[in-house]
Amino acid sequence: MNLRSVDIPLLTARKLLFWAGLLLLATVVCVGVYSFIGGAPIGDGRFWASKVWQLRVFRLLAGAVVGSALAVAGMALQGLMRNPLAEPYVLGLSSGAGVGVLLGPLLAQWTIVPDWLSAPLLALAGALLTAIVVYAVAQRHGFLNPYVLLLSGVIVNVFNGALILVILQFVKQTDMIQFIGWGMGKLPEWLWFESRLLWLCGAVTAGGWAVIFLRGASLNALGLGDEVAASSGVAVSWLRVELFIVIALMTSAAVSLAGPVGFVGLIIPHACRLMVGPDHRLLTIISGFVGAIFLMTADTACRLLGEAIKVGELPVGVITALVGGPVFILMLRRREGKGQL
Amino acid sequence: MTTEPVLQATDLHFAYQAQREVLSGVSLGAAAGKLLCILGPNGSGKTTLLRCLLGQLLPTRGNVQLDGKSLRRMSPRKRARLLAYVPQFPESAFAVSVLEMVLIGRLAHAGTLGLAGKHDLNVAREAMKMTDTLDFANRTLGELSGGEAQCVMIARALAQQPAVMLLDEPTSHLDIRNQLKIYGMMQRLAHDWRMAVICVSHDVNLAARFADELLLLRTGRVIAHGPVSAVIQPDLLGQTYDVDIRLYTPDDDSGPLIWAQ
Repeated sequence: MNLRSVDIPLLTARKLLFWAGLLLLATVVCVGVYSFIGGAPIGDGRFWASKVWQLRVFRLLAGAVVGSALAVAGMALQGLMRNPLAEPYVLGLSSGAGVGVLLGPLLAQWTIVPDWLSAPLLALAGALLTAIVVYAVAQRHGFLNPYVLLLSGVIVNVFNGALILVILQFVKQTDMIQFIGWGMGKLPEWLWFESRLLWLCGAVTAGGWAVIFLRGASLNALGLGDEVAASSGVAVSWLRVELFIVIALMTSAAVSLAGPVGFVGLIIPHACRLMVGPDHRLLTIISGFVGAIFLMTADTACRLLGEAIKVGELPVGVITALVGGPVFILMLRRREGKGQL
Repeated sequence: MTTEPVLQATDLHFAYQAQREVLSGVSLGAAAGKLLCILGPNGSGKTTLLRCLLGQLLPTRGNVQLDGKSLRRMSPRKRARLLAYVPQFPESAFAVSVLEMVLIGRLAHAGTLGLAGKHDLNVAREAMKMTDTLDFANRTLGELSGGEAQCVMIARALAQQPAVMLLDEPTSHLDIRNQLKIYGMMQRLAHDWRMAVICVSHDVNLAARFADELLLLRTGRVIAHGPVSAVIQPDLLGQTYDVDIRLYTPDDDSGPLIWAQ
């Protein structure tokens, strides 16, 4: 028997390019199609200048950024922790970034940082701080206990949630509805006249995505344990630091745009892993685009559903949580059944 | 044939906490073509020593030379081309196929993305042939027995094409047949593949039977280091493990059996 008779599709550069091209196309098509869906009072026929068009396209672009940032960050977190249940939302990174985003407008008057930039910067600080706390609680001599990891994520989430409630006390009654929608994860509608945040978060997401893609082979090695990875040529401690920073950056980008949207980083990598296998190089490409498409679809569904039941619009975080919660429980039960977590 | 050690540790000291040394002046040399087994009771510092030799712990004093160069100053990638490691318990967090796992051993030889080329596939094939793992190339670790999984880990290490291979109690959870298989494999890697093989072991009898050289470790100090016949002595073994040792020599001249009480 030789290797040639074994039918295993090996990963090639051509395969990576094929998937990247195909899914990029699909993403663009989605932006185009979804922006035409639904009631469109175009007005005097100048569609391209209409608010509806601008509103929807910018919102869809934001959805693409948020979806891919969360999906790729989730996948990287799972690879790094060797735990498919790790996710920015579950581990409290999203709520940490959320505290930062809410503090932004309150603190902006005392800093020289421009208003629009203070929220994402504070989000990054919040996400990094949360990541350090959760990691420090869950690790013993560099080894992570997966149960303690999830538990510390839960606890940090509750803590951050309390901070958010405290901050909300300082919010005007009239703005409350908006803040509550944001707290559930909602794509913004004002990006067409203030798009700097979108470009910044898009750039951060693209950069982080590229870094994680380049570390895909190292993440594969890390799946075999720290020592095996290190002896295969991976600088493990540096990889941890680097990827934690990248994950925090991407989570902050997503949360700055849309608030803490839950479970995207869990569902998307999991579904993609079922489809194309666990190789992190291919998985980075695929889950990024699928995340983008998923979130745009979910948001469009929310928009239509909201119109249909006449409650305005549902926050997209409601749908991701309704889908993600059960998926999380199913995954947990199945892994428990196999005696591993 | 070289007798110059490929891996040379000189006067290693290591302490996890100040004032409590786990290693106190350990020196050893591993030469190409030799299987060296490190023996010692629990807590004697075997694993710590192994981690220092792997470059994962920095000794507080002393140094490790790999192929004539200081291990401390070597990049992980360069180190991986000379030194490979087989863990005690094979693990894989994700359902990776055996072939993909073996190809991870090619990481230090491949480009940034670590994509496998034709040469990498050939090396992987040789490594899997040597370890009898070709037949389950497209299965995952979870579908293999303990012995098969350990063979896969050896194939993965072998794919690095290292000069030195370090194994951490690779047979501690295996049955007798698989123990013999793994020890036989380590012996072939040393004798036929001209590697320096270092194995941390708990089984004195297996080590004495297959190894070329032994090192006895007790509370972070070397009790004895040399050819098997010089180290398998009742007084040295007794001193190491704190037990009474008797040696029985079978009629067929297959080396002494060690009996502890």
